[in-house]
Amino acid sequence: MLIDQNMKMADVVLHDPTLVPIINRFGVHLGMGDLNISEICKKHNLHLQFFTTILNAFHDKLYFPKEQLQSFPARLFVDYLQKAHRYFLEEKIPEIAGLIKETIQESSVNQKSYAIIERFFVHYRDEFRTHIQREEVKVFPYVLKLEKALEEDKITPEIEQLFHEYPITEYQAEHENVEEKIFDLKNIIVRHLPTPNNDRLWYQILREIFTLEKELNEHSRIEDLILIPKVKAMENELKLKMAK
Amino acid sequence: MGDLRTVVIIEKNLLIQAGLESILSELPRLVIIGFYTGDEPNLNVLLTKQDPDIMFLNPQCLDVPAANFLNQLKGKINPLIFGLLDDNAPESLKSPFADRLMFSDNKQQIQNKIQERCNLNNDPHDKAQVLSSREITILKHVVLGLTNQEIADKLFLSVHTVMTHRKNINKKLGIKTVSGLMVYALMNQLVSMEDLGDKI
Repeated sequence: MLIDQNMKMADVVLHDPTLVPIINRFGVHLGMGDLNISEICKKHNLHLQFFTTILNAFHDKLYFPKEQLQSFPARLFVDYLQKAHRYFLEEKIPEIAGLIKETIQESSVNQKSYAIIERFFVHYRDEFRTHIQREEVKVFPYVLKLEKALEEDKITPEIEQLFHEYPITEYQAEHENVEEKIFDLKNIIVRHLPTPNNDRLWYQILREIFTLEKELNEHSRIEDLILIPKVKAMENELKLKMAK
Repeated sequence: MGDLRTVVIIEKNLLIQAGLESILSELPRLVIIGFYTGDEPNLNVLLTKQDPDIMFLNPQCLDVPAANFLNQLKGKINPLIFGLLDDNAPESLKSPFADRLMFSDNKQQIQNKIQERCNLNNDPHDKAQVLSSREITILKHVVLGLTNQEIADKLFLSVHTVMTHRKNINKKLGIKTVSGLMVYALMNQLVSMEDLGDKI
């Protein structure tokens, strides 16, 4: 189903509740009443096309209008990706960590083995945090400065230096796959877990991990298919201008 | 991932993308992990990262000749590749592909071609998914932090053989990272916490 601006926000969420964390990132919350999407955007001062495009991209894996997505300014993506980072770090991952802790406490068997899994998840969290910090400290500020320089047609020495020191290809090379550990975690729980006495809790963990994975895939899709190509195009424009 | 095969589709025509997805969904053990339209500037990087088992590629949606594109992937990933081809396409477009799905093929023909080439009908249980004793030895060395070269020297093997063993271990266990392997090794008491020291 294509989500359009005239649909009621509530109908959209009732159709696909996995969109709740996405609309939260835009400051839209449950208890949304009867407003349609365009009214919601007016109320929260959101970019209507950007909001609907992101909802559609998350809702339907086959919907990914690259040209349209690339036409939005980079700052909209940076803002969105930063909010997503907050959500992963401050909500989703602590939620799963808490569930794992609770599950181990309620286990009457194999506690030692489960503690190893908990440790693995803590490692994963730390690695994820480092990855995100690099994006926020290095990549995003560079993207924003690059966009501003091009918009105002002011090529400062700073931006030239940043471009030479840290072109986006560099970032792409180190954009390592934090998803591999999630893949492992799923397999460890499903295949290799010593039989637990509380399947229900493990199932809950597993479900949350699958949700996290889906959200991360969508996140990387935007970074890999939109942000990086967009920055590459901006860098080419900058190169042309510097050559003049 | 055990005996599931991962699939990517590179096709700019959305009707064909969706149609192929629906046809594949009727076959066993195939999991689609990516859809691309062929004009992604970093496509070869993304594909290398995903390392699919099977790739469906329409050469007409690439901005470079298919042979060049496939050359970029050579040595990094080695998927089974099906060309998605228009019957009227010139022979030069068709020639890089040993396996071809034609737009005029009917559903049965398409499914037969895929099943034949991908051996989807063989019994998945004919090969054991448990680790051999050699693999267990190598697994222990890996989690203790030895490099492929060090393992090769220790066991009088070539580095290439060690890498093949490691690939098989990853496949059998469904675990790709070294820290994931540590969890497995610890839970199965192949190594102890003390052995790993501060590595975990």
